[in-house]
Amino acid sequence: MSAHTHNILRFSHVTVRYGAQPALDDVTTAVPCGSLTAVLGPNGAGKSTLLRSILGWHDLGGGEIRIGDAHACHQLPRLAYLPQRQTIDWDFPITVRAVVEQGRYPSLKPWQRLSKTDHACVDRALAELNVTALADRQIRMLSGGQQQRVFLARAIAQGADIFLLDEPFAGLDLYATEELTHIVRAWEAQGRTVLASVHDLELARRHFTNGVLLNTRLIASGPVAGVLTEANIDLAFRGGPCLHDHLPVHPTAHFPG
Amino acid sequence: MTFHDLFVEPFSYGFMQRGLLSAVLLSLSGGLLGSILVLRRLALMGDALSHSLLPGVALAYALFGTSTLALFFGALIAGLLTAAGSALLSRLTRVKEDAAFGSLFIIFFALGVALVSLLKSRIDLMHFLFGNILGVSPSDLRLSALASALTVVVFLVFYRSILLETFDPIFHRATGGHSGLAHIGVLCLTVLNLIAALQAMGIVLALGLFLLPAVTAYLWCDRLSHLLLVSVATALVGSFAGILVSYHLGLASGASIVLSLGVAFLVSAVISPRYGVGARLWKRVREGKGVLHRAD
Repeated sequence: MSAHTHNILRFSHVTVRYGAQPALDDVTTAVPCGSLTAVLGPNGAGKSTLLRSILGWHDLGGGEIRIGDAHACHQLPRLAYLPQRQTIDWDFPITVRAVVEQGRYPSLKPWQRLSKTDHACVDRALAELNVTALADRQIRMLSGGQQQRVFLARAIAQGADIFLLDEPFAGLDLYATEELTHIVRAWEAQGRTVLASVHDLELARRHFTNGVLLNTRLIASGPVAGVLTEANIDLAFRGGPCLHDHLPVHPTAHFPG
Repeated sequence: MTFHDLFVEPFSYGFMQRGLLSAVLLSLSGGLLGSILVLRRLALMGDALSHSLLPGVALAYALFGTSTLALFFGALIAGLLTAAGSALLSRLTRVKEDAAFGSLFIIFFALGVALVSLLKSRIDLMHFLFGNILGVSPSDLRLSALASALTVVVFLVFYRSILLETFDPIFHRATGGHSGLAHIGVLCLTVLNLIAALQAMGIVLALGLFLLPAVTAYLWCDRLSHLLLVSVATALVGSFAGILVSYHLGLASGASIVLSLGVAFLVSAVISPRYGVGARLWKRVREGKGVLHRAD
């Protein structure tokens, strides 16, 4: 795949601190264009911090993040972000359609109204994520999977080509998980880049092409099979604050000293 | 008592007309700002903030008289000191943000009370705290008109930014929004409108005109635009009713407006078809009936 030859996101020596506590420490890695990349690691490893720092939400304590370079097919606004479920107030007085319309806001000046093209764009996004029938519902009135698809539709309406998904699989049932993997697979086939923080290592192994394994520091990155080796998983999760449910307990993990 | 006696005759007086106009102006901005405060869960913060403005207002009043600009900056500085001070305290000590804010605002409030008692100004403490909408002067009206117009214009022009910043600030910032500006903007508008409401409602009761219409509307609306409109409409109706009640029964005007709005809120909380107590109970009763307990 020729698209994979070039890196769309490059991190060099990225450090982010919360107070004195480093959340990311000297992380250097890259995300190939058009890849399906999982950000992996235990709780508090800096997965969300990595995604948000791409958006400019955190001040970098050091290093830099480059988004692509001169590449004709990429235009602003290129980054779409799917927030973690619990950061959204689901009681907010807003309908599905209005959420998806937000994807068009960045391209509008304050005095402009949504144009016909914008509305068409929103319609397409609603249709692509199969939420057209729900357009007039308040967002609380949806299932977890549907809620997620609404925010994915917002990302589509934005016209982005890089999708940052923060814990997209958290709290989804089996069916919704299948659906979401289907959607991101389809995006990958369209040449879109997806970077998602993922808790479930098995799921990452099955559905993602690339992985970035973190525990504040970078443990490994590259093709997912090469990243999720037993040695790397041990290194990332050993002594971490949370031993993950999905981790197979292997007798190979020994604690020297 | 005829319709004329109840609704028309009161407004034959100049002070009642000014009071009504002032209420209309403050309802416009109060309904809008209150909605944002409620959605951002800043209702209690706003209340505390309004108390903490007192020393700034009192000092400005003592030094510069009723100069609007002085009052605004006095209040703004007091508000910012409270906000920044509590952020600093919570970061540098063990004290958590809410406790720091709670402690600082009450210190500022006490400082304000002390200042007012010390200065022996023409206006007494009760007036600062509770206002009197029937004593509104033409210059008070000008300030209310300015604050109200500015708020409405900001909401019209920056509606989408305000929506994004309230709903999903990370997305707002990620797509090039000015998060900090939106934050400071809402704070400044709130302080400006509290000052504008000083004469009419007093510093403490003014927030009732902001928050109560907004929570009332919150119980009825599923779209932000509707919420804002219903909130403003509720504020208008509530303050109109409040002024009339105040006139006919001789109640304190600020309290009477807040109580009228309070009735609207409490009634809504019970009868709102989707989010009220009644709806929830009714749903439970129906679901209860739907389950068949049979032993066979």
